[in-house]
Order: sequence, then structure tokens, then C-alpha cells
Amino acid sequence: MIEITDLKKIYRMGTVEVRALDGITLDIEKGEFLGIMGASGSGKTTLLHMLGLLDEPTSGRIVIDGTDIATLTDYERTMFRLYKLGYVFQDYALVPDLTVMENVSLTAMLRKDRTEHQYHEASTDILDRIGLLDRQDHLPRELSGGQQQRVSIARAIVNKPDILFADEPCANLDSENSRMVLDLFKEINEEMHQTIVMVSHESWHQEYFHRIVRLRDGKVVSDGVNDKGSGT
Amino acid sequence: MGKKELKVAFLLALRSLQRGSRSSVLLTILIIGMCFTNMIFLPALFNGIGQSITQQVVDYEIGNVLVSPKSGDQYVSDLGATLDLINGMPGVERATPHFSKGATLKYRKRVLGATVRAIRPNDEKLVSPLYTKMVAGSYLGDADTGEAIIGKPVAGDASVKEEDEFQSSLGGVRVGDSISIDYGNGYVKDYRVKGIFYTGWTQSDSAVYVSYTDMALADPKATDNADYITVKVKPGYSEKFVKDELLQYGVTQKVQTTADLLAKSMGRALQSFAIINMVSLIVGIIITTVVLFIVITIKTINSRRQIGILKAIGVDKEVIMHNYGFQVIIMAVLGIIFGLIITLSMAAYLSAHPIVTPEWSATLYLTPWDLVQNSLILFAASLVAGYVPAYQVSREDIQSAMRA
Repeated sequence: MIEITDLKKIYRMGTVEVRALDGITLDIEKGEFLGIMGASGSGKTTLLHMLGLLDEPTSGRIVIDGTDIATLTDYERTMFRLYKLGYVFQDYALVPDLTVMENVSLTAMLRKDRTEHQYHEASTDILDRIGLLDRQDHLPRELSGGQQQRVSIARAIVNKPDILFADEPCANLDSENSRMVLDLFKEINEEMHQTIVMVSHESWHQEYFHRIVRLRDGKVVSDGVNDKGSGT
Repeated sequence: MGKKELKVAFLLALRSLQRGSRSSVLLTILIIGMCFTNMIFLPALFNGIGQSITQQVVDYEIGNVLVSPKSGDQYVSDLGATLDLINGMPGVERATPHFSKGATLKYRKRVLGATVRAIRPNDEKLVSPLYTKMVAGSYLGDADTGEAIIGKPVAGDASVKEEDEFQSSLGGVRVGDSISIDYGNGYVKDYRVKGIFYTGWTQSDSAVYVSYTDMALADPKATDNADYITVKVKPGYSEKFVKDELLQYGVTQKVQTTADLLAKSMGRALQSFAIINMVSLIVGIIITTVVLFIVITIKTINSRRQIGILKAIGVDKEVIMHNYGFQVIIMAVLGIIFGLIITLSMAAYLSAHPIVTPEWSATLYLTPWDLVQNSLILFAASLVAGYVPAYQVSREDIQSAMRA
């Protein structure tokens, strides 16, 4: 599903060169719940941004579902993100002026293959599934952190993306809410066979992952199937 | 951009205005409204002054078409035949002659220099609204002799001392009083003041009107001559049409329309007004453009991260740009509506309470086209001011925007 070949990202700050990613080669299979782990500065988020088409690599190749993303124009990249990818951010990143329902429906509204009835039904179903249908008319600031993150997940999956990227989605949550969010990811992965790539530095999160890739200094230091990956 | 994209852009814009900082939105609308008012008010006032002066000149001086002596002549001669000819023309409501003489007025111990205008009162009624401006007594009749009507400033006020007067007067003449008129040619006659009028037009209010019959006694040349003839044009006919008709059918005097005369006498004033109007317009546009540019720039700077997020989740940069564009459009439309309400309220107020000076009284002169034109100019300026920062920020790469 995702083929990453010798991916490099080098930041230049004056004469100093920082290798955020230093030759990553990786394949991610459909339906996997992959955890990318590592210490701060190891390159986890940079890798996620490359895979999510939020940034461009210095060199190397990313092929998603047969499409070499380097060949895409700016508009095609946007459409690729809209139709194929979902993204969950650390700080929820909801539009503060939109209600819960509007936030969830926003990207679905833009899809040309969805009627108003379809995206409204899809948004309602997702909100019902995450237990926030009764808060659909609330603004994000009227929700708790855990609820906001669930809305963020609903927004990311309402279009049924091929791949869901999550960048430390539990970083701002307490353990109870973190578990709720991770349980939701697990459900989505199992029931919808949703491919999920999640960045985390919390060691207890690994119990949810099928496979764990560990990074250090922009390089893959380990890549293996997680035996405890069924979740607890 | 498809319908869906525009719909999302509009939703984002509407929600941002509804749920964002209301004070900043209201302030922006207020500023646009004030700029609109500023752009409209001064030109409309100048146009009002111009219209007022033009109307007074038409009403009390020259009518729609002025027939004056041809070059080298002192008077319009053969008055009877000339008037018959003019009055018989299509499009002519009525023509009426004027014959003026400088004279000295005496009332008790007061002496005042003034112009005495001879008119044919009944014809004059069809050309000038002077007869409607009587503040005391009544208007002249054709058969009146030994009677005059005088302007209120000429009559004066008995309660004001001579040394305190702004404009010299006869010190409080009342209807029925007798004033003496010395025409300077040895002819002196006492007239009973039949009425006192006030038109607001200085030249008219400073004059004394007598009948042509009376003037002929003072100056026999008035019998069949006039200084000029004023012509009132029937509704539906243009001044130009009547002028051309008069020239074509044998009026040998100089024939000029109001527009001909005002172009010469007021051309410079109108040019100055046009310059002031242009400056006012440009300042208004610049203020609006700068204010909206600042407002939208601040909005976009404050929303850079959100813009980055929107792009990250698949919202196209065009949608983001039009989001801010719609915000500007909504604020501009509301601002223009607010400006229209202020402007039309002021126009209604000034219509009921005109600005009055000794020379003219003016209201706001507004045409629908003025309102539409200024609305469109302001709207276009708003679009430029809003779209420039929106375009810039929507082009920013996701990483930079998200790091903001």
C-alpha cells in the first residue's frame, strides 16, 4: 500500500545540515495499525508529514497505492489528501468557528462523489459511533480535550480514507481519554480494516500496534511485528 | 472552482463572521459605511449646491432659455412682436421680458441704492415662482400702477439699528407703506409697497419689482424694449430644442440655454467641485482599501495554523482564499448598506432642513447612479483589499503555516 524507498529529509540552517530522515526504506501493508515510535527528534513526525503529503522529501521515493507522490501537482496533492488520506493532529486542530457536525462534514462536503444527503448521513453515523451525536451543534471549545480528539478522528475517517495518519493523538490527553482514543483507533482498524499509521512516544501505546517501527536520528533502528498488538 | 468548493468557502466565511470577533466585524462594517458616506456626502452636497444655484438662476434670473440683445444692441427691441413669435413656438410655456434700472430708494430717513426690475406680472407667474415667495402682502397685477413689491432684505427690520445691519435696508418697510424711487433721470415717484417677498436668491431679494406699465413712465424705452426675455420651456421639451426652434424661426437676438450660460459662469466652480469630489473619492477608497487589507491580513496571520490544517485535511487553497474573499464581500455589502442608510437618512434630513447661506440653500443631490457607482467602486476596492492578503496566505506551504 505504501512503499518508501531511501527517504531523506535534510534541513539546512545556514551552514548546518540537519538530517531529519536519513534513508528510510519501509513498506506498509493495507489494514495495518503501524506505530512509529522513537525519542523526541528521531524523525517520527517528519516521516508522518512526508507520508501525509504535508511536506516534500529532499530525496527518495514514496509510492501510495501505486501513485508516486513526487509526480503530483500541488492541486493533485490536495485532492490526494482529500480522497485518500485522513489526518489526526496532536492538538485536535478543529476549526473553532464550526460546530462539531460542520467540522466532521467539512471535507466530505468537498468531495464530488458525495451528495449532501450522503455526507450528512456519513457524518451522523460517525458522530453516533464516537458517542458525540448529541453534541453535534456544539462548538469545539465547549467540548473536553478527549471529546475534541474524537471529533478530530471522526473528521479524519468520515471520507473512509485509504490511510489514516495520527500524529501523537494522545499527547494532550489524560490516560483515560488516551485509552478511549486508542480503543477507537483499534475498533476502526478492526471493523473497517482501516490502515492506520500513528506516531507515539508513549511506550504503553505499543500494545495497540500490529507493527512497530522505531526511529533514531532519522533512521529505522527496528521494524517488527508486535506480538501484543491485539490491544488489551 | 465548483459549486461545492464555493459552498464550503462561504460556510467558512459565514461562520468566521458569525462566531469570530464580532466587535472587529462590526468595526469593519462601520468603517466601510463611513467611507461610503464620506465618498458620497461631499460630492452630493456640492451637486446640491450646484443644483440649488442653477435652480435659483433659472427661477429668478434667466429661465430655461434667455433671449438677450444681439451684439452691439442695448435692448431686445420690437418687444411685442418678439414675444408673440417666441410664445408661438412649440415647447415654449411662456416668455416674459425684464427691464431693469438702477435707482435710489427712500423711506423716511433711509436711502438705499437698488435695482428696479420691470416685469409683466401675469406672464412672470408662468415663468418664475416669485409670486409664491411673498412673505407679506400680495404679488403685483398687470394693471397695477404706483405699486411695487420689494425683497425682504430691502424692506429691512425696524428692530435692527442701521449701524447693526449686515446688509443696508430701508429699515423696516411694511406692506402699505410708501417708498420713493428716484430713477436718476429726473423721474421720481412714490410707490405703495404691495408685498414683500423672500426667495433666498440674493440678486432677486435685493431688487424692487414694478410693472412694465410703471417702468414705461420712468423710462419710455421700456415701452417696446427689454434688457432680456426669459423663456420657460414646457415639460417634455429640451432647452436645446427650444433654442434651436427660436433661432430657426427668426429670433434674431442672442439665444442661450441655461446650460450655455452656466457653463461659462459656473464652469470654474464646477471644475473646483469636481477636483474636491475626486480627492474625497480617492481618500475614501484608499482608507477602505487599507482598513480592509489590514483587517484581512490580521485575520489571516492569526489563522495561519488553521489555514495549514485546512490544507492538510484536503481543503484546496482556492477554497481558503475565497473564504476570506467571501468575508470581505459580506462585510463590504453590509458596510455599503449601512453607508446607504446613513447617506439616505442624511439626505432626508437635509431635504427637510436644507443648509442655508445668504447665497444659496442646498440639500444633498443624489441620483441612483451616484449610489450604484460609488457602491461598485467601494465593492471593487474591498475585493482587492481582501483578496490580496487571502491570496498570499493561501499560497503558503503547509509546514510553514502549521508551524505559525
